[in-house]
Amino acid sequence: METVYIILITTFKTLIYFGILMLHVAYATYAERKVIGHIQLRLGPMLVGPHGLLQPIADVVKLIFKEDIIPTKVDKAIFRIAPLISLTAALSTFAVIPVNKNWVISDINVGLLYVIGIAGIGTYGIIFSGWSSNSKYAFLGSLRSAAQMISYEVALGLSLVGVILMAESFNLTEIVNKQGEYWYGMFLFPQIIGYFVFVVAMLAETNRLPFDLPEAETELVAGYFVEYSGIRFSLFYLAEYLAMFCMSALATICFWGGWTIPPVLLKALPALGLIPGIVWFLLKVYFHIFLFFWLRGTLPRYRYDQLMAIGWKVLIPLALFNILVTSIFKYYL
Amino acid sequence: MKLREIINKIFLIEIFKGLFLTLRMLFSKPVTIQYPLQRRKIYPGFRGRHALVRDPFTGNEKCIGCMRCTSVCPSRCIYIKREKTENKMIVTDYVIDASRCIFCAYCVEACPVCALVLTEDFEYSDYMRKNLIFNKEQLLKNWDEFASKWPYDVYFNKFWQPPGIDPSRWPKTKREQKPIPIKRFVEIKKEESDESSS
Ligand code: SF4
Ligand code: SF4
Repeated sequence: METVYIILITTFKTLIYFGILMLHVAYATYAERKVIGHIQLRLGPMLVGPHGLLQPIADVVKLIFKEDIIPTKVDKAIFRIAPLISLTAALSTFAVIPVNKNWVISDINVGLLYVIGIAGIGTYGIIFSGWSSNSKYAFLGSLRSAAQMISYEVALGLSLVGVILMAESFNLTEIVNKQGEYWYGMFLFPQIIGYFVFVVAMLAETNRLPFDLPEAETELVAGYFVEYSGIRFSLFYLAEYLAMFCMSALATICFWGGWTIPPVLLKALPALGLIPGIVWFLLKVYFHIFLFFWLRGTLPRYRYDQLMAIGWKVLIPLALFNILVTSIFKYYL
Repeated sequence: MKLREIINKIFLIEIFKGLFLTLRMLFSKPVTIQYPLQRRKIYPGFRGRHALVRDPFTGNEKCIGCMRCTSVCPSRCIYIKREKTENKMIVTDYVIDASRCIFCAYCVEACPVCALVLTEDFEYSDYMRKNLIFNKEQLLKNWDEFASKWPYDVYFNKFWQPPGIDPSRWPKTKREQKPIPIKRFVEIKKEESDESSS
């Protein structure tokens, strides 16, 4: 009886999460087009609905009804599976992400490790799609992606070690609670180096500009998903945006104090305590999402060797230095 | 200076400057014109769809088949078929391949009788390349369409006259070029004169 109850409640939670996530992703694409548009003094989508608000829905309808082409010489089974792997990996990470006090599908003790591990699995989808497409461009794109993922996965993991040391736990809820012990309620200030490394690695991990080398349109037409069309293509798109949300949520939880607000602020204005935690959480996540768009609107794409150099020569040493400093402080204080 | 550069590099000053710039742009007013709903003003000298001017009095084209436009056209997209009668050249067909035209308006400048215009009409895209090859009927029809939209009674394009060349060197017809009355204006005039005579 107990088990059935747990299964039911988890399924219910998952469905709600899924629906909300999809809505968020749809409107993240809209927000991205609007933000980039305004940065470039354009308007972005305007025609479908007031201010183009129904554009994401129109896009979904379009993608579903588009012809789904599978080229003749591809490895059909893997070609079909690849986008699903990316998507599943991106979706699975949300299982452990707490959005409010005790609002989490599965509160496991190795949450952080799980997220990093699963996020890495998304690479399989990319490599499979590139390899099975039987096309040079797709293959090059996926190879680049593999190299990039490996380089930045290391930096990403190392940047979080500082947080783990501070929180003395892998549990994401625990990490947030621990941050409440500081008067400013965040790991952002003692871990500023870690945060910097995390943000850069996060951009690279999600293949967003300025690190979008796997899909560099100008060099590789579109990278690993050139041969995909219609709904299969949109699954990759979905996975990319989900990964963005996942990384933003991780940054919020590990460095920005999750759903809490700085205790000093709460003491000064007790009324803020009435606002539910999820609002703070979403605000912080949206800030990071906006950061993605903002950086995309600002920076040009890095060259491939620069990308590798930044990963190995700057970010990893920085992260290691951060771990060293944190450990010393942790030991003596 | 060296230290400053190092500091700039460590704290990513340039990237932050760039971010600040784009953030400022985010809050400034977009310059987009919502095309089918709003239109921008067309400037004089805009070079759009070709048209052969219809003589408002006879209803025929003004072209005299002198072939100057054909010889001046850099992309060689004007083809003229003409027949010689004892005292007059008759243009039997006049074809412009607009898909090859580069809209330099040399033909308009070269024409001694100002028989050819690049109108201000720019909305003539088509799915068929064939439809962008205008023959004489089509070119005259283009002019009728343009003239029906033209808000004034007469039309004169100052780019008919070659810029930068001394007017004394222009052909006489060009020097004495009068603005072309639009057909509807001529008809009104005609009706008025009919009424006064009757
Ligand atoms: S505008 Fe230039 S290219 Fe076009 S028909 Fe006239 S002379 Fe030829
Ligand atoms: S230059 Fe003018 S008159 Fe001569 S053929 Fe061309 S359009 Fe006709």
